Parts: sequence; C-alpha cells; structure tokens
Amino acid sequence: MAVYQADALVIRSREYGESDRLLTLFARESGKLQAVAKGVRKPTSRQRAGAQLFTYADFLLHRGRTLDTVTQASPRESFPHLWNDLDRTLAATAIAELLDAATVREEPQPHLFTLTLTCFFMLAEVHPFLVQSLFALRLLEILGYSPRLEECAECGALIQGERVFFSPEAGGTVCSSCRGTLSGRTLSQGTLAFMRRLAQAEWAKVKRLRWPVWMEQEVRRALQQYCEEKFEHNLRSWRMGNEIGGEGINNQREG
Amino acid sequence: MDLLNYPQPLADLISSLARLPGIGPKTAGRLAFYLLQEPETAEALAQSVLKAKEKIKSCSICSNFTDQDPCAFCRSERRDRKLLCIVEHPRDVAALEKTGEFKGLYHVLQGVLSPLEGIGPEQLTVQQLLQRLEGVEEVIMAMNPTVEGEATAMYLARLLKPLGVKVTRIAHGLPVGGDLEYADEVTIARALEGRRNL
Repeated sequence: MAVYQADALVIRSREYGESDRLLTLFARESGKLQAVAKGVRKPTSRQRAGAQLFTYADFLLHRGRTLDTVTQASPRESFPHLWNDLDRTLAATAIAELLDAATVREEPQPHLFTLTLTCFFMLAEVHPFLVQSLFALRLLEILGYSPRLEECAECGALIQGERVFFSPEAGGTVCSSCRGTLSGRTLSQGTLAFMRRLAQAEWAKVKRLRWPVWMEQEVRRALQQYCEEKFEHNLRSWRMGNEIGGEGINNQREG
Repeated sequence: MDLLNYPQPLADLISSLARLPGIGPKTAGRLAFYLLQEPETAEALAQSVLKAKEKIKSCSICSNFTDQDPCAFCRSERRDRKLLCIVEHPRDVAALEKTGEFKGLYHVLQGVLSPLEGIGPEQLTVQQLLQRLEGVEEVIMAMNPTVEGEATAMYLARLLKPLGVKVTRIAHGLPVGGDLEYADEVTIARALEGRRNL
C-alpha cells in the first residue's frame, strides 16, 4: 500500500535538509514510524501545524523506498500547555524520549499510545514531574519491566528499614544480604511507598497526590537509572530535566 | 551519480559541493563542471571561501559572525545598549536587521535547548549572556516559534527575571498579507492569544 493513514503523536522532530523535518511518530495502530515532512519549516507550509513536536494529528503518509513522506497532517490536538511552561515541556520531552527508547519501529503498542496521549493531556493540570514518573512506571508495567518495590528482587524477602537499596541491575529493591556488589542507590521507605501508590493510583486520583521536592528528585532519579538500565539508553532529557527543571534552575544561575 | 567515472579531483569537488545545504548530487555535478569551464570564477570562489574561513570568527561578546572582534553591532555607539535581542543563529541577526526596526544589540545563542538531541545550556552561549547584562533593561526573545524555541525562551526568562531585567517574547500569529482562511488552527489560536488593543 503506497499511501496509508495514521493517527499519531509526533514524539521527535529533527531538522532535515533545507526546510524539511524528520518526524518520529507514534501511531495508535502501527506503533513507532519515521517520516519526512517536506517544507514544514517554511511559513507557507500547510502541514506545519500538524508536524510540530508533541502534536496529535491525523497523518496521510506515502511509503517511500527509504523514508516515508507526510502528505497531509491535520492536527487534532496541539497541547498548547506543553509550549508555555518549561517544566511541562521538559516532562513531555522526557516522556517522548523514554517512549522512543522503549519501543521498536512498526510494532503496534495501542496501550502505550493511550498512556502517552493521556499523560500529555494530564500535563495540563497535574504536576509535570508527577506525570513523567507516572508515565515511566506505567510504561514499565505495560512492557513487563515493573520494578520490585516491596520485596527483595533477588530472594523475595520483605524489605524493612528506613533506607532501602534500589538496584536497577537487580530489578528493584534488594535486601542487605543480597546487595553484594550490585549497583544502585538508596531510597527512603516513603519514596518507595509513593512509587507504589503512583503505579497503582486511579487516573482521577493522581491529581490529588502530593510529594515533597526531595522525594520528587529521588523518584525521578531512581526511575531514570532504572529505565536507562532496562532499555540500554542514555536518557538525556531526564538528566537535563534534573538539571534545569523545577528547582534545578537555581544551581544553573549560580553556576 | 557514479563518481567512479570521473577523475579523482573532479569526483572530490562534486562530493564536497554535494555536502552543501540544498545541493543534491546532480546540482553538485553541474556546479563542478561550470567551475572547471570558468577558471576565473573558480579561482575567485576558492579565494573567498578561504578568506571568509580565515577572517570570520565569533564575536567574543554576542557570538555573531564578525571579521573584527568585537563585532560592528557591539562596537557601535549608535545602538541602544538597554535593549538586547536574543536569536538562535547569526542568520537571524541578518533577518532582523533587514527590518530596520530594531536598534538595540544582539546575542546569538548558537542554537536552542533540545534535550532529545543532547543540546543543553552549556552548548549554548548562556554564560556569555549572563555576563553582559549590565545596563540592559529589556531582553527580547526572538527564537523560532517551535517547542524548542519556546522552551529556550522560558528557560532564559527563568534565569533572567530574578536579575531584575524585563523579558519579552516576539509576537506569534498571522503573516502579513496572509489569508485567515488558510491559516492553521494553532496559528490562529496564537494570534487570538496575542491580540492587542486598538
């Protein structure tokens, strides 16, 4: 089939050639795709709005020999809230990068599509880093990589104590006798309890969850390390979010 | 284009030209043959490329391209030193200068924040910007209206506002002479958002 349709989210957009963009799309039915949107950097382009990063649009694509081409892009939702708040932009970028890292091309993942779309909408009213962490936990669950957060990932013993060792290498929390030479970081019991709540909370109740700044940072760093280990990908936007998002900006100014 | 059929120096010339933006292998071939047939043009072109490469550098203040450091804008007595316009690339300075509307100084960021591509504040000229704010009353963010451009503008605004500088963003909306009917919904929404009193 030379021409096909896809309702998809633009999860990555890179400048390509003189005035084109190379888009990575995440489609409801066909999963991750790559396509060139020609001429979309020119103000006269009719497809410009649909080809912007984080836009949810109906695409008409033409299958090419090496790369597919976007022939039409009508935006369904352009998520204006992702454009005018730095923390929201950073969280959406982190979500998009993790989704890109965790999936392979042309493998249908309808649950991940719905999750991403829901999270993009949620970013309008829920704390951006809460949505980012929630996305990571739910994505891990969908793909079968959920971290163990209550018992030891090695021996299954229930873990106790105020500070707990969390090892991405082992697949979650590890008891002191199994810790050995495993790499990881220590987390507080409060952080682990929060992650468990976040992983299971109903969508409507997520908005009501509250966390202190230190816990937010602990959760984000632990999930970053865990996802980097699982998907063997350096999550650059997660690292940048830690540096310049939220409270991180103060260190930048002084630095 | 099969470069094996050409003598090595000509093949090298074609592949060098084909690396330039907007030039495909066929155009590169045509240009290469033209240059060989017009030795004077070829000589002049080669000289200007070498000269530009040798003389043009980055201004130590604004990071714009210049042959003298500091550049003509930063040296000029006539420019308004209270106004600073931040752009992504040196070519944006040229675009703004063409309007003749802006009389302040420029600062070239050399890109925008792009976490997905690994471009963070340290890859941009943010530190140089922070060091040149003395006497500046207003900083105008003239980055492209893309997600990355907006993110960069917001990031800089977060850095600059606590220092007591007024931070503004150039308007987004309908192009002059354009038809509302043909504009996309995002642009129209932006234009409505940025409406002004008459």
